[in-house]
Amino acid sequence: MRLLIVEDEPDLLASLAQALREEGYAVDTADNGDDGLFNAEGTDYDAILLDVMLPGLDGWEILKRLRKTKKTPVLMLTARDQTRDRVKGLDTGADDYVVKPFDLEEVFARLRAIIRRSANQTTNTLEIGEVKIDTAARHVFFKNKLTELTAREYALVEFLALHRGEVVTRTQLYEHLFDENESSLSNLLDVHVSNVRKKLGAEFIVTRRGHGYGIE
Amino acid sequence: MKIFKSIKWRLQIWYGLILLVVLAGFGGTAYQLERNRLFRQVDQELHRRIGVLANALHRPPLRGPNGNRPPPGQMPRGQNFDGPPPDGVPPEQPFPGENPPDRDGRRRPDFSLPTQDTHFFEASEPHHYYYRIVNRDGDQIAASPNEPDSRRHHSDNYFPTVNQAADIPGKGGLPAKLISFDSYREATSQLPSDEIVTVGCSIAPELNDLRQSALTLLAVGGAVLLVGLAGGWWLVGRALRPIQSIGAAAGKISAGDLSQRINVADTESELGELAVVLNSTFARLETAFAQQKQFAADAAHELRTPVTVILTQTQTALAREREAASYRQTVEACQRAAQRMRKLIESLLALARFDAGQEVLNRMRFDFAKTISESTELVQTLAEERGVKIISELAPLEISGDTERLTQVVTNLLNNAIQYNHSGGEVRVSLAAQNALATLVIADTGQGIAPEDLPRVFERFYRADTSRTGAGNSGLGLAICKAIVEAHGGTIEVASQEHAGTTFTVRLPV
Repeated sequence: MRLLIVEDEPDLLASLAQALREEGYAVDTADNGDDGLFNAEGTDYDAILLDVMLPGLDGWEILKRLRKTKKTPVLMLTARDQTRDRVKGLDTGADDYVVKPFDLEEVFARLRAIIRRSANQTTNTLEIGEVKIDTAARHVFFKNKLTELTAREYALVEFLALHRGEVVTRTQLYEHLFDENESSLSNLLDVHVSNVRKKLGAEFIVTRRGHGYGIE
Repeated sequence: MKIFKSIKWRLQIWYGLILLVVLAGFGGTAYQLERNRLFRQVDQELHRRIGVLANALHRPPLRGPNGNRPPPGQMPRGQNFDGPPPDGVPPEQPFPGENPPDRDGRRRPDFSLPTQDTHFFEASEPHHYYYRIVNRDGDQIAASPNEPDSRRHHSDNYFPTVNQAADIPGKGGLPAKLISFDSYREATSQLPSDEIVTVGCSIAPELNDLRQSALTLLAVGGAVLLVGLAGGWWLVGRALRPIQSIGAAAGKISAGDLSQRINVADTESELGELAVVLNSTFARLETAFAQQKQFAADAAHELRTPVTVILTQTQTALAREREAASYRQTVEACQRAAQRMRKLIESLLALARFDAGQEVLNRMRFDFAKTISESTELVQTLAEERGVKIISELAPLEISGDTERLTQVVTNLLNNAIQYNHSGGEVRVSLAAQNALATLVIADTGQGIAPEDLPRVFERFYRADTSRTGAGNSGLGLAICKAIVEAHGGTIEVASQEHAGTTFTVRLPV
């Protein structure tokens, strides 16, 4: 899962990025509106955390322009908690909002929720054959047994599971599992796929030669 | 009682009382005039009859119109008539044949009314006039039989006392005394020949007329009073209606709805003017409240960001075991956030104290030029970092003020001039005395301020640029500068041209 955080307060941006990376997300950051919009339009993020008060383009403007081309789920971070501000955000196309000061737990939960909704899932539990994924606790069970996965392996499984039945290209996987700082070490992905197959059964991830991967 | 406290009722009572007094005055006067008119008529009639009797007394004895002389003794003295005479036929007048008059014609033991005069004393007419004649000794010479009983009772005490009677100048030259009793009125005259002639009549018809007039006056007066009271009630209610709407609006405002206004239809009347004044007061209150609310909201908003930093930083740090360096970073970030909050809180407190007028200026005389050059040195490092040149032109000038606070103003303006400048730019600082005012000008060659933002730069939390690139730029600096300068009795102005530079001018009394 790859996220973009647009926030101009450097200490807040740094700690948010760190916390989300530790949650297993690939995180890109922008500290002003113009860079934020540029990134948001150029990459298929799984979700965007967007501050409202920004130098350059403000949050509303970014949202308005982004919605012309992309349906990326957006979680607004706002210091204004008046109803009209929330209404404005939701009406402009935000999927949800959190009011500063917030708890990280809440941000995580809301992020999971908007990502799940964008993949048309209604619960936190995905069941694929003998594999069960709890997206809230980030646990994977194989044959009802908790199976240890690394953060990157979990992200791969979750992304493929959310796009079940689709062919996911390698490019897509790179885009969603790695942030802009991790340049494409092309065989890294194959290593992760192979590790997942060892843990959850060889047939769990199907290879579509020349196209990519998928979960049936 | 509540009724006496109510303006409407008090006005109504006063109004009613005054109307009542006026109506009573008018009614009483009208009644008196009518009474006088009626009595004057009666008195004239009475006097005429005195004249008739006086003439009859001093006329030589006459025969009856037919020459008939009634048998003597037939008519006892004083009993000329028995009851009213037959209709249309004047009664036979007795003639006192057996008692020839004195030579001087003064004393006649007997008197009877000449026939041609009897119509003056017809018993049948509503006034039924009567008469009585007595001699100077009080003996009765003659009396008409229709003299009322009540009069006879008074016969002993014949002469009315002077204060009961009114003198009227008789037309025939005879003064008469007038008296009213029961429903009768009498006029009494002493003839030159000493006989005392009294003529009386019933004034029942006049009294009846007067009663009618009084009733009419009462009815009209009552009606006028009622109409007046009703009109007054309506008028007072109408005049006081604005007070009700003022009260209603004020009530809603005190209940917290500051957007309420008094509905003023008529702005010309005194109450209308009051309502207009109140409305403008309410409007100012509402604005002040809105500003206060906005200020509190902005202050809370400004505090949210550093609190968010601390929360995220600490929650991230505590999520797992970390290296010492990582904790150090977290603590440093928290410290920065806390510093920012402290600065904000100090600014807010300073503004609040200036607002409440509690800020005490530590006034003393000092050289403002020296203070400015010290401030310039303080910001020199920042200026060098940004590649901005500071050019000072300071004339020594002593002013009276709070050194620390004014240093704050100068430093703040200098910081802004450097921060919003470009590399290679200039900041010109000058101090001079102008019209007994110390005039400090700080001009930069920076990006300038857009015309639409210019009037708002001194507003609290107003930032022309929504960015917070200048760390700790809370948007309160210029508001505080303004508060300090104004507390010194000075002014602060800004002029700017976009992309050319901004000039702040501070004027302080020397």
